Amino acid sequence: MSDEPRDAVSWAKKVDRLHVTDEVKAIGYNIEGRRVAGPQQGFGRLWHRISIAEFGPTVSPQALVADWRAHFGSYWPAGSRFHGGLTGIAPGDVAPLEAGPVTTGILVLYADDVSFTFITPEGHMFAAMITFSAEETEAGTRARIDILLRTSDPIFEAGWFVIKPSEDRFWAGTLRNLAAAHGVHHPAITQTTECVDDRRIWKHWRNVVRNSGIRTVWHTVTRALRRPRRSSPVA
Amino acid sequence: MSLTFATEERGGTIVVHLSGRIDRDATTAFEEVAASTSAATDIELVFDDVDYINSTGIAIIVGLLARARSRRASVHATGLTAHYVHIFEITRLSDFIEIVQPADA
Repeated sequence: MSDEPRDAVSWAKKVDRLHVTDEVKAIGYNIEGRRVAGPQQGFGRLWHRISIAEFGPTVSPQALVADWRAHFGSYWPAGSRFHGGLTGIAPGDVAPLEAGPVTTGILVLYADDVSFTFITPEGHMFAAMITFSAEETEAGTRARIDILLRTSDPIFEAGWFVIKPSEDRFWAGTLRNLAAAHGVHHPAITQTTECVDDRRIWKHWRNVVRNSGIRTVWHTVTRALRRPRRSSPVA
Repeated sequence: MSLTFATEERGGTIVVHLSGRIDRDATTAFEEVAASTSAATDIELVFDDVDYINSTGIAIIVGLLARARSRRASVHATGLTAHYVHIFEITRLSDFIEIVQPADA
């Protein structure tokens, strides 16, 4: 292998612990200080999920991914929020996110002109790598989301039958919003799910102590106790 | 250059020599690698002639690792440059794949 790989700038620098910027520190409490957790650090079965949307000839793969990186969070369906940087998706970015009732985040592991990949932190509902990409086909440009995931802990695994259809709707909605921004309405979307490993990793049941759902609820109910007290008026 | 591979048995270990790029186009080759190592309990992946791995390639390697893990086979990697050792570390693949460095590294 060459000593100077051409893809080196596409990858995040190695970090032992994730840190959020001051601007998003208030919402980054479930990622600050966490390590990343790829699929082998999770608990549940290993799934490979693919969502594909056909965009036709209206936009090139490079232009589509450039726009997707620049406005990533704006294409999410209502009810979820991505707190990415103002300049878009870049390798090494650590971004908090709110997905329904859960606050968590991601590390941008990799980004080039036709794809970018997130990896999840400990406590996220999934231990996962998520790749967003675009490619040229005979019919034009195809947008694609590949997710390799295990649920992180037994609680999220127990909820998988609810989480999966919700995830299907979320990513289909994202692809529809992205398509609409490029003048493509009602794009053909296909979604598949393949079980790669049907065995759970039972030794990782302790991941539950970092469960972002539980910690989000706890953070919310204790918020009042953390507010700085107003100083008493001087008599 | 798309991925090709060759296998040999060495003292109970199935050694898989990989050559080319590991990206989405390597999916089929890795399915063939998984099939040819499906009975192995010890697998060594040799990256000496791999010149490119992107994030999709890492996901493909994770899939192979998971299949090996499901039957309790161990996986080692040799021939990784410092850059790709870094990638294996940041993705925490190195928690599950033993990275064997040359003796003079």
